[in-house]
Amino acid sequence: MNAIPTCREVEPDLVAVAAGEAGAAATQGVERHVAICRSCRDELGRYRVLEGMVSDLRRAPMPGADPTLARAELEARLADIRSRMITYGIYSSPLGRILIARSELGVSMVRYVDSDTSAKSHLKRLAGDEAVEDEAAIEPVYRELLDYLNARETRLSWSLDLRWAGSDFQRRVLAVTAQLPYGAVASYGGIAKRIGAPGSVRAVAQALRHNPLPIVIPCHRVIGSTGALTGYAGTRIGLKKQLLSLEGVPVGAHASRIDRNSMYVWISPDKEYCVPSCGSLSEMSLAQLTLFGSREHAEAVGLSPCSSCRPDLHPLPA
Amino acid sequence: MVRDMTGDAFEAIVAAHHAEIHRYLVRATSRPGDADDLSQETFVRAYKAYRALPPDANVRAWLFAIATNLSRNHFRAEGRRRQAMAVMAGGFTEQSASWPEGEAIANQASVRIDHLVASLPFKQRAAFTMRKVHELDYDAIGQSLECSAESARAHVFQALRKIRQGLDDLDVVHTER
Repeated sequence: MNAIPTCREVEPDLVAVAAGEAGAAATQGVERHVAICRSCRDELGRYRVLEGMVSDLRRAPMPGADPTLARAELEARLADIRSRMITYGIYSSPLGRILIARSELGVSMVRYVDSDTSAKSHLKRLAGDEAVEDEAAIEPVYRELLDYLNARETRLSWSLDLRWAGSDFQRRVLAVTAQLPYGAVASYGGIAKRIGAPGSVRAVAQALRHNPLPIVIPCHRVIGSTGALTGYAGTRIGLKKQLLSLEGVPVGAHASRIDRNSMYVWISPDKEYCVPSCGSLSEMSLAQLTLFGSREHAEAVGLSPCSSCRPDLHPLPA
Repeated sequence: MVRDMTGDAFEAIVAAHHAEIHRYLVRATSRPGDADDLSQETFVRAYKAYRALPPDANVRAWLFAIATNLSRNHFRAEGRRRQAMAVMAGGFTEQSASWPEGEAIANQASVRIDHLVASLPFKQRAAFTMRKVHELDYDAIGQSLECSAESARAHVFQALRKIRQGLDDLDVVHTER
């Protein structure tokens, strides 16, 4: 039989034995030692008492440790983060490759992209590193866009998330632009007038230049005061023409302006639309007018032919 | 495999673990106010990283690891350790600690132990709390503290020795047993 271990030898094992975590040999050594050593027996007893006290910590209430408030704040933060999480997909379309991104609240970005790198940089601006590619989740949105771009639909029923718009001013511009009917055009000055800031034509143009949601917020329906198409999505003026042609707005293949003499005219909030030669319309600035490429699209928004110029009887030459 | 990122899945994790992580952080930081902030931060980080968590991961141990990391950095960054010590020392002048005489004062004993726990170095405090209060295994504690299970165990035992010693030192009516 081995010698009984000394106080110094058993000391490191006392804690483990009291905690019930010592191996068989250590346990036996401690048991043999404390049988003959009162002070180590007391020591082991105190560790056992301590184990009991410590186990009470699991049940004892902790003063000042109510998690209720922290939990409520956490829920709010998580809801906010969740609503800002972005999923996206990149698709081919008649207008080229298009990035579509959405949050819980709605579609938050549409971008024409030349490469994955440009797509990534757009996303980074939108969502930091938290954008997740999920084509299946965006697929229904994309299908609808395809129907629109193939002239099977004249409107997109997407809910939109405009939280990423740059400013309240831009949001106002986008909201008014979103009201422009299918197949119609208005000028930057017209949009400025409609948001109640007629002097801010340049700011309007700038806001539309950074439209996060082209196509669905139809900035392609906004043109210069002379009828010039001006710009679109950087240098993609060809896409602006393509979208306008799709909607029945006459744009010559080589022209980069719209001829207002070939468009029907509406002055909001009238209930009628006219031919451009009606009354003094031809002298009015484009900022006051909305132009329609076809009677069909004017009537689609509830307008009637003017009772004096009678565009129904005297339509513009197609 | 990508995790279910619908609100419900993570909601269930918050419901199951927030109160416990909060309680752990009260001890790990020695300050309920810090525990409020850090418990939120723990779950916000967890939410962002959750998608990439392997399906067979131990979510509870993972949350403890995040919380431990945050509280360690918190102390490093703000040098609050000393402040916590000061608070603790102040506490003891008003309230004597001694070996308990019976069940009736068990809660007071918990308060005393909590004061002693607050005075431990961070690793010992965290290891002790994870093991003795939350009953995590040493592997999980080792992962939280970025050390081996063996070291984790050594931290816990060292904490127990110091607490025992602390109760002795404070035993104003210490008698031979």
